[in-house]
Amino acid sequence: MLLIARRNLFSERIRLSIAIGGVALSVFLIMFLLSLYRGWSDKVGAFVEEVDVDIWIAREGTADFLSSASFLPTGGVDENFAVLPSIERWSPLVVRPMSAKKGETEMDVTLVGYDPDLGIGGPLRIEAGDPAPGPGEVIIDKVLTDRYGVQIGDMIRAAGKDWRVVGQASGGDFVAAQIIFVRLEEAQEALSMEGFATYFVLQMVPTADLDEFVTYFEGVQPGITAITREDFAEATRNRILDDVVPVLLAIVVLAFIVGLAVAGLTIYTATVEKLREYGILKAVGFKNTYLYRLVMEQSLVTGLLGFLAGMVLTLALSPVARDLVPQFVVLIRWQDIAVVGASTVLMSVIAGYVPVRRLATIDPTSVFRA
Amino acid sequence: MHGVTKVFGAGEAAVIALDNVDFEARAGEVVVVMGPSGAGKTTFLTIAGALLRPTSGSVEIAGIDVSSLKERDLPPVRREKVGFIFQSFNLLESLSCLENVLIVMTADGATTRGVTNRAKELLDMLGLSHRLKLLPKHLSGGEKQRVAIGRALANNPDLILADEPTANLDSKRGREVMQFLRQIAFEMNKAVVIVSHDQRSREVAHRVQWLEDGVFRADVVTVRDPVCSRIVEVLGAPEATFADRSFHFCSDGCREAFEAGPETYADAVTN
Repeated sequence: MLLIARRNLFSERIRLSIAIGGVALSVFLIMFLLSLYRGWSDKVGAFVEEVDVDIWIAREGTADFLSSASFLPTGGVDENFAVLPSIERWSPLVVRPMSAKKGETEMDVTLVGYDPDLGIGGPLRIEAGDPAPGPGEVIIDKVLTDRYGVQIGDMIRAAGKDWRVVGQASGGDFVAAQIIFVRLEEAQEALSMEGFATYFVLQMVPTADLDEFVTYFEGVQPGITAITREDFAEATRNRILDDVVPVLLAIVVLAFIVGLAVAGLTIYTATVEKLREYGILKAVGFKNTYLYRLVMEQSLVTGLLGFLAGMVLTLALSPVARDLVPQFVVLIRWQDIAVVGASTVLMSVIAGYVPVRRLATIDPTSVFRA
Repeated sequence: MHGVTKVFGAGEAAVIALDNVDFEARAGEVVVVMGPSGAGKTTFLTIAGALLRPTSGSVEIAGIDVSSLKERDLPPVRREKVGFIFQSFNLLESLSCLENVLIVMTADGATTRGVTNRAKELLDMLGLSHRLKLLPKHLSGGEKQRVAIGRALANNPDLILADEPTANLDSKRGREVMQFLRQIAFEMNKAVVIVSHDQRSREVAHRVQWLEDGVFRADVVTVRDPVCSRIVEVLGAPEATFADRSFHFCSDGCREAFEAGPETYADAVTN
């Protein structure tokens, strides 16, 4: 860093602190929102993405896991699927978003009824307790324990019925709601869905061409839709994030503008204050490019320090925010750090651009005026 | 300078600041340029220092025809061939004395031992060896001007241009600075051009040139205004008489001040 740039920057500690603080706040907001987006994105698609299901069969018009408006009769399905050689195993699945209660505490959950004997569509990972629910039993997502204090052995009420918690699983967190798993026939009974399922979930033979199967199946089964795991996971993720992303994006843009404004104004003020000194440098033989470098270095160093401070803030406050508000699911990726770093560089360059333009107009002969 | 003319503005609003001026300063010589306010002294200095281009004519510094150089080629000439000394010192406030000198030697502040030693030698020669690390705000006016002289000499230029170098100094410090400038011309073989109103500058000058209305005049008789000490041309200046002596003034204001108490001022000058 050039000597004059360093001295100009660090001689005004308060102004530098304000500039760094402004950039840091901006970086923190951008980084935090990006991490929040990543965290949500990671959570809301995880179950569908990781569950051992290749194809989801649903009523036509069903777009994602959470809409769950699908209603499929289970009668005769075994015969229909048995003749399709690309299907290895299948199982009906009942899915219904609802409110559950532990005492007076209300919880948003998604009730999943699955066949524990087949295991398809069941809990992703058992963290504690029984691996599968028995009659009158439920396996909850551990986020319900973290968020509402539901423990193994507790009773919760859902779908008009009381269930005893026998296990904790992970991977069923949709941020706003969590999956609870019960036996298929009990879910059907509780929801008055005897003889019906929300989905049929299929495991395919390794050689099956999934896209080809989807096309074939939808051709022979009008009114029914088949969706690959990837498409279903993406649709599920988009259902939640599509509503949130524009809001996040607007705040990110605002944060960028705030950071830019604070950095720009402080750099501009610092430059204008030293205009005579820049004129002196010009008079004694320094080129414009040298002066531009002086200002740009100050702007970039301010941006860099603001970026570092913002990252420290993000890393320090994210766990605190997560503890205070469980919905703050933050996932920090190095790719996002790189993007925010690049944004900070852009912010610094723009912040330095206006003062640089001002320098170009300095008349070096002005320094002869007393 | 050969046939240098500088016109500001155009048409009826055009002002001729310098009119076909010829000027030369040689190595080892101190030339003082005097003249009334608005005579074109600053324009002369900025053109001589390659900061301003003449409308016509040519300017040569240390054998380089700067009037034919492109704009982007002028800064290196200013840095290497010319040393500027300003009326208001114009030091960089965030840099120490030593750094103010070093900065013009190294541009990027990357100093070597040799460069630092030369800067220290210069400041030592100017009596500032005990002030190297101080910021300008901790220096007296005389010390600031000596740092500025050190900066002007940093790149060993051929030409030193000083604009009213004693204007912000008291009598003693002003005389000191003038002596330094004379020493620089003599001992370092530089051409020193001083634009000044200060009568003391005459004491160190090999030549004094009177600039008025954009031209150097040779037939000028000058005296010192007893009230403000400015050098004024006798012809056309406000005049007063006291004790059988004539006094000339830069303005009616000074004349009136003199007439209000001539005994206060009369002994201050010898006309």
